[in-house]
Amino acid sequence: MDKLVQFGRALLQPLLAIIVGLAAGAIAISIVGGSIVETYGEMWKGAFGSFYFFTNTLSRATPIILIGLGVALAFRAGFFNMGSEGQMVLGALSAAVTAIYLPGPAWFKLIAAIIAGIISGGIWSAFAGWLDARFRMNLLITTLLLNYIATLFAGYIVSYPLKDKTGSAAMAQTVMLDQSVWLPKLFKGMSVHGGFIIAAVCAILLFLFMRYTVKGYEIRMLGGNPLFASYGGVQRGKMMLISMFVSGGFAGLAGTVEVLGTQYRYIDGALTTPGYAWSGIMATLLAGSHPLGTAVAAILIAALQTGGMGMERNTDVPLEVSSIIQAVLILFVSAKFTYSFIKRKKAGS
Amino acid sequence: MDIFLDASLFATTLRMVTPILLAALGGAICARVGLFNVGLEGLVLIGAFSAIVGNHFTGNVFAAVMFAIVCSLVFSILFGFMSIQLKANVIVVGIALNFLALGLTTFSLRAIFDVKGAYYNKDMVGLPKWDIPVIKDIPWVGDVLSGHSPLVYLSIVLVIVLQLFLFKTVTGFRLLASGENPTAAKSLGIKVSRIQYGAVLMCGVLCGLAGAQLSLGNVTMFTEGMTSGRGFIALVATMLGQSNPLGVAASSLLFGFMDALSIRLQGFALPTHFTMMLPYIVTIAAMLFFKDKGYMQEARKSNESSR
Repeated sequence: MDKLVQFGRALLQPLLAIIVGLAAGAIAISIVGGSIVETYGEMWKGAFGSFYFFTNTLSRATPIILIGLGVALAFRAGFFNMGSEGQMVLGALSAAVTAIYLPGPAWFKLIAAIIAGIISGGIWSAFAGWLDARFRMNLLITTLLLNYIATLFAGYIVSYPLKDKTGSAAMAQTVMLDQSVWLPKLFKGMSVHGGFIIAAVCAILLFLFMRYTVKGYEIRMLGGNPLFASYGGVQRGKMMLISMFVSGGFAGLAGTVEVLGTQYRYIDGALTTPGYAWSGIMATLLAGSHPLGTAVAAILIAALQTGGMGMERNTDVPLEVSSIIQAVLILFVSAKFTYSFIKRKKAGS
Repeated sequence: MDIFLDASLFATTLRMVTPILLAALGGAICARVGLFNVGLEGLVLIGAFSAIVGNHFTGNVFAAVMFAIVCSLVFSILFGFMSIQLKANVIVVGIALNFLALGLTTFSLRAIFDVKGAYYNKDMVGLPKWDIPVIKDIPWVGDVLSGHSPLVYLSIVLVIVLQLFLFKTVTGFRLLASGENPTAAKSLGIKVSRIQYGAVLMCGVLCGLAGAQLSLGNVTMFTEGMTSGRGFIALVATMLGQSNPLGVAASSLLFGFMDALSIRLQGFALPTHFTMMLPYIVTIAAMLFFKDKGYMQEARKSNESSR
């Protein structure tokens, strides 16, 4: 019974946040003179209205889930990894390059591309962790700066040495991947692809890892109480490198599945423009860094975005209502820390 | 070597650096009271947008700047309320504020001006350009220092004022104390949360000014997300300058100079991607030499324990 109450309470906060977010959206809708019910109806239809739209939402959620998982792991360890964007871009680029230029059978290329994506995202992230552990450079700042460097570097690679010169369009992109290494679509004609399964499995694995393994416990301890963790013999520097590597690896994987499952090539700006990285961070914040919760929150955020697009197609209300709802959601959820903080204070006195 | 001594290069630097410098000063004050303000980006964006709105409706530049300040103030109060009153994690609140600012400005752009992407109107007046009487006539210096918007000069004055305020006045000392050791400050009867609010408000004013310079000084238009990372760069400048007004000014200038230089280098054979990378790489390299002396660490610790 106690557990049920606890579960209910954990769910209450996000639900309340969603209501407040929708209320804020309703205010915005009425300001531009739209009908609230009709607009939200269009939004719902755009996200879940038909099987096609639903799979569309899931396909958009795929990279957001993976990024959110990576950020969640880093948050749990007490590190603010803001560099998902750069890690994702580098992961996507190396996956594309591996899949295009590596010789061998298709399954080998596919696996190699995924591994390459994970490793390059992980190394880029661990580099920021290393700078913090070794030189005490603020992780939040370095990860932000490394974003710019990574996206510019990837932009250079596809604009000059590896540019696709076969097509007539002079876009900054690599050549198309061979069809044999594409991630299979889950349903014929729908946009959701095998990457979604990978993301879902990753969410469950990360949940089990954090909950039932020693390393997972150490990571949680490091984030929850760094002093206690160091007293208990957890080496912060080493843990930082490991957790940042895994965190970046998730972001790299996100870029990889986007390339292998949706775009089939690396296109400059195709990953940064939709803001997958920041959406992933939002999902993590919404779910309080809980792996399974992050996955659910990511689908919610993706639904808000695809729903917003549907809304813009069919009504006069601009798409940006979704971003207002998202921001209000997070502002409201961040007050959760407070709620438990006050309770702890009361219990102490 | 001619390109490095070109007066227009330095004049561009000065103009580009002003929004970053103003926002970074705001960030520095917040950092000094133990609030690591990641929301600078959003606050500047709000300032930039509301400056254009003010300009559109009043046609008066001064009123536009005032309106920008007021709007940024409102959002900084929100930031303060969430992080001081509700003790929410400052970094999370900052990130959320950035999202909110981006969403709200883009939404309002549609709602008020009925355009998407960018708003530009040729009847809009930008900030005036001031010529400084004597300096104007000195050959090289005049070209660099004269003919900027008033906010550029104001930012230079503010650096000195803030330096004196923080380290030479009683209120400044109280502000430093409430950041360095809130418990000790409280025991001396300093109202810590009131001082924190004051700092957040000051930050709001500075970010409003930064936004106004961005949308009315550098150009006379607003584009979606026009801050494009400047707020984060300001955050870096705050950290590099160790939350010290003079240091913040120096690091902002370094960044602005690299930025202007990278634009200049585009004329050469180097691919633009690498020249655009230059400011970020130099900043990371500079962070190696100027480690932060614990203020950020302090801020980080304080928000870690509140989680």
